[in-house]
Amino acid sequence: MTPGLETDDELLILMRSGDEQAFVTLYRRRQAAIYRFALHMSGSATVAEDVTQEVFLALIREECGFDPGRGTLPGYLFGIARKLVLRSLERGRADVPLEIEGEESAWPELAVHDDPLADLTHREGIDALRRAVLALPRRYREVVVLCDLEEVDYADAALVLACPIGTVRSRLHRARALLLEKLHQERNFRPAVGAWKPVRCLT
Amino acid sequence: MEAGKVFDMSCQEFWRTMPELARHPDQSGHLRECSACAALWEKQRALTDGLRTVAKEWSHLQAPQRVEGRLTAAFRSHAGLGEKSRPERLWVPAAAWFAAAAALIALAMFLVSERQPQAPRHAAPRAMELAELQPLRESPGNELGTGEDSPYSGDDFIPLPNAARIAPNEDVNLVRVEVPRSTMIGLGFEVSAERASEPVQAEVVLGIDGLARAVRFLDE
Repeated sequence: MTPGLETDDELLILMRSGDEQAFVTLYRRRQAAIYRFALHMSGSATVAEDVTQEVFLALIREECGFDPGRGTLPGYLFGIARKLVLRSLERGRADVPLEIEGEESAWPELAVHDDPLADLTHREGIDALRRAVLALPRRYREVVVLCDLEEVDYADAALVLACPIGTVRSRLHRARALLLEKLHQERNFRPAVGAWKPVRCLT
Repeated sequence: MEAGKVFDMSCQEFWRTMPELARHPDQSGHLRECSACAALWEKQRALTDGLRTVAKEWSHLQAPQRVEGRLTAAFRSHAGLGEKSRPERLWVPAAAWFAAAAALIALAMFLVSERQPQAPRHAAPRAMELAELQPLRESPGNELGTGEDSPYSGDDFIPLPNAARIAPNEDVNLVRVEVPRSTMIGLGFEVSAERASEPVQAEVVLGIDGLARAVRFLDE
């Protein structure tokens, strides 16, 4: 086979038979997404590095028993990474989740205010969106990072998050609504010269 | 048309089943019928485009190179490939440390073992002299080490008691260690009480099995 063209499952079989090149290929193919996920979830490059290392060590040691019948290898790796990140966050208590009542039942209304999304075509708007993603509560941040940033499909995301696919959809919907809210808030806090129109002349 | 009214599907059904709309075109036709959902969908689409831009900007982020190095080493270790693929410069110091540790352990075991009292000597014995003091046993397994045919015969090497003989062509290692001067007492040297705790350098001959066979002290 041509190196690098094997599927993840083929590489895993080769790796488990002691093929170091297969392991390196698999690592290089998947490490960046795992690192980014851990980084965005923890907000710490050190934690992200440790998590990435532990994820692939688990794969080397065959500790968790990946079953191709249950999902894809990336989904499995994200699942391990998520557990490790959560463990790290619990130890460090670095994340204060924002609990929102009735998350699964109530569908938020996406307020139609003046349009902060127009900014998303500009540098400033993208920066604001990036900040908004990082400021999302953990349960919404993870679904946005997985589905929107890393383009994990919903079925895999459901396995990673250990929840039904419907929950993935509802959380994603809610997460996007929160992002819009945050973008709108940030836009309103920004001083906009055009918005300061005199209502009445006092002189 | 107003949002919330039931067309082909309700707005809630639409959003429950179609969050992928931001990526895929509307298959249900609901957006044509519901202007409110169409407006929201436009927002979602813009947001998703923005997220895609963010993802592209973050795409360069990856684990530092050192992680790959550590994992590759762990893989080799796990697969039992370590000694074959590890660079020699890493292996040699490890082997030296192992040999030094083995030599120290052998000397320590020798010191705690029961010894027949011997008359103190003022000078270090030559190997042949020591052979006369401690006659070789009959059992080959218990023979003292440095015979005439050994490359370590002479040169002040003292065969250790109960150590196997060093064969002429045996691959041995010579390890230099530092031990308390009191170690020399066990081999028949005279050591004053004041100097017993001083360190003294010694060279230990290790057999292929890693066990110490003979020793010589460099500054008696």
